[in-house]
Amino acid sequence: MNSILFLILRRMRAPLITVIVTYTIAVVGMTLMPGHDPAGNPWQMSLFEAFYVISYTATTIGFGEVPFPYSPEQRIWMTFSIYLTVIPWFYGIGKIIGLVQDPGLRQAFRTSGFAREVRNLQEPFYIICGYGETGSLLARALDGRGMRVVVVELLQDRINELELEDYEFDMPGLCADAKLPDTLLKAGVLHPMCGGVAALTDDDHANLAISVAVKLINPKLNVLARAENNDTAANMASFGTDHIINPYTLFGDHLAMEIHALGSYLLHEWLTGVPGDCLSSPACPPVGKWVVCGFGRFGKSVVENLQREGMSTIIVEAEPEMTHCPKGTIIGSGTDAKTLYEAGIEGAVGIVAGTDNDINNLSIVMTAREINPNLFVVIRKNKRFNEPLFQQFNADITMDPSDIIAHECLAHMISPLLAHFLVLARNQSNAWANQLISRLVETVGESVPETWAISIDHHEAPAVANLLSWGLPVSLDALMRDPANREEKLWLVPLLLNRGDQHILLPEVTSALLPGDRILFCGRESAKAYQSLLLSNHKTLTYVINGREIAEGMVWRWLVEKFGKAKADPDKA
Amino acid sequence: MSLEKVVFGFFIVLAMTLNFGFFIGEIDNPMHHHVYELYAAIVVNLIATVLKFGDRTQIGAVHLATSLVAVLQLVAAAVVWVAFSGGVDASTTITRVVSLSGGALMANVISVILLLAETITLRR
Repeated sequence: MNSILFLILRRMRAPLITVIVTYTIAVVGMTLMPGHDPAGNPWQMSLFEAFYVISYTATTIGFGEVPFPYSPEQRIWMTFSIYLTVIPWFYGIGKIIGLVQDPGLRQAFRTSGFAREVRNLQEPFYIICGYGETGSLLARALDGRGMRVVVVELLQDRINELELEDYEFDMPGLCADAKLPDTLLKAGVLHPMCGGVAALTDDDHANLAISVAVKLINPKLNVLARAENNDTAANMASFGTDHIINPYTLFGDHLAMEIHALGSYLLHEWLTGVPGDCLSSPACPPVGKWVVCGFGRFGKSVVENLQREGMSTIIVEAEPEMTHCPKGTIIGSGTDAKTLYEAGIEGAVGIVAGTDNDINNLSIVMTAREINPNLFVVIRKNKRFNEPLFQQFNADITMDPSDIIAHECLAHMISPLLAHFLVLARNQSNAWANQLISRLVETVGESVPETWAISIDHHEAPAVANLLSWGLPVSLDALMRDPANREEKLWLVPLLLNRGDQHILLPEVTSALLPGDRILFCGRESAKAYQSLLLSNHKTLTYVINGREIAEGMVWRWLVEKFGKAKADPDKA
Repeated sequence: MSLEKVVFGFFIVLAMTLNFGFFIGEIDNPMHHHVYELYAAIVVNLIATVLKFGDRTQIGAVHLATSLVAVLQLVAAAVVWVAFSGGVDASTTITRVVSLSGGALMANVISVILLLAETITLRR
């Protein structure tokens, strides 16, 4: 801000000096011109009167001849003054307006406004670099969960889009190159409340540059980066990037999970969704022969995972040499029936359309379905603007890279505990996952629940910490009851209890809490709000634990302590 | 020698000299203090202030501050003159005006000292 002020001042020098000089000449001349008062006595204007007259003349306000009608000499000087002062006045005003509209200055204003907004953030926030399909999706999801986001984007169009978007919270956005360390600093990389950086641009090199810069400037920060090439990913890993997200590998993983553990897959989708969204009904990929069209990064990952699940795959690829296809590959794009017959589409159970061209993908699956209507269809969507086409087609599984990356980022951003929980859940049996899902549906309904973590310490849960420090036991159950009526349960489920190095999946409600415990909950939004009451107010918490109200005043509390022992059992318990 | 430095030095010194010229004389004698001299001092001080705009160095900041003080005091003097002229006796009014301009003179002297200090430390 300071630098902008100086910039304006420096550019204002010439117009201001012109205005001062012309005023001076006009004012002095005015006082020298002889005139007469109404009585006919000789009269000359004082300096103050002259300044007053010139001020309203120069600004073209024009009150007329005050205090008395002017003499011819005074009128001559007045005429001269009008041309002398009005023009510099407009020159000065024009200069100021031109300065305000100067693109460089406006950019400077925007940048400094952005930096100030970021500096003033009082809550934990994440920096998202790249507000494209993935970035906007992630920003929306984080905003829906009440987390603050700062956006850096290279294209002004997308920043305009961000400003028009209807978010819960104000989302500072800057149009700048995130590869430049200065931009990252302005976005708050060194801000004490900054929780992490997500490098989600569609350029691998930019993502690499961002993660390297962030790790050098502030090694403590959590860095999530999107990488589509293995080289970039390896390079990022060597700089300590915390989570490297490759959408193709991830999709392969998810597909495998969908085949062999639908429950775990659903759980994953559910806990990392945008709260309030409806759950999509799961599709269960069949076992048998699969035809995979396109053997790029996506196709390779799918084939690898399908083969691991024991399926036989036939690859269809237009350029087998370039993509290092294995033997037995059918050459062709897959959009024509001949190639598909060659690949044995009649006997296949599923088809994967995984080329990097949306129209080709749609054409492949439509031709394939004509031949074999019972096919299970997996289709890769590349561009978000083609969404209506894909909706119309209604494939069994639509692979959307932006969606996958956003979900993965969310899992890490919401809480490190959630990411940990998902890893643990993946190792559990499908039956376990199904059981948990039915329990969740029972408590929170059919829409995506809130997921949050609390730590038992004086900062996040002062009430619990106080009771524990007074030696009173608090069980997990106490945090799961309605503060208004302790008979009622809150609509939430504890997912994970973290104590030191120990992680307990689905902890028992009777388990006693210890200071330093961290617990991951999942439940309705209202439950989260009610629970915060329990965490912060030890009177409410005591009531929930044993049904006793703690007296307000010191005297009453003393009385209760003194005499209350006899009638210890309150009628409420 | 650069023209910018000549203009800059000229206005700063002129601001001080005009201010001094107005200030000197018996404090309560209107004959010793001419209104045009005060007017010229105000104008030259304004120009000097504008010339100091935009310098981001430490010494530039102090320069600007001294000029702002001088302008403030001189404008206050002019306002007092206009507001009280024709009222109470002329010697009281002129005493107030001149004492205010004396304050402005101090600021202008500091400004010139800064200019000298800057020139002396300049090794080019």
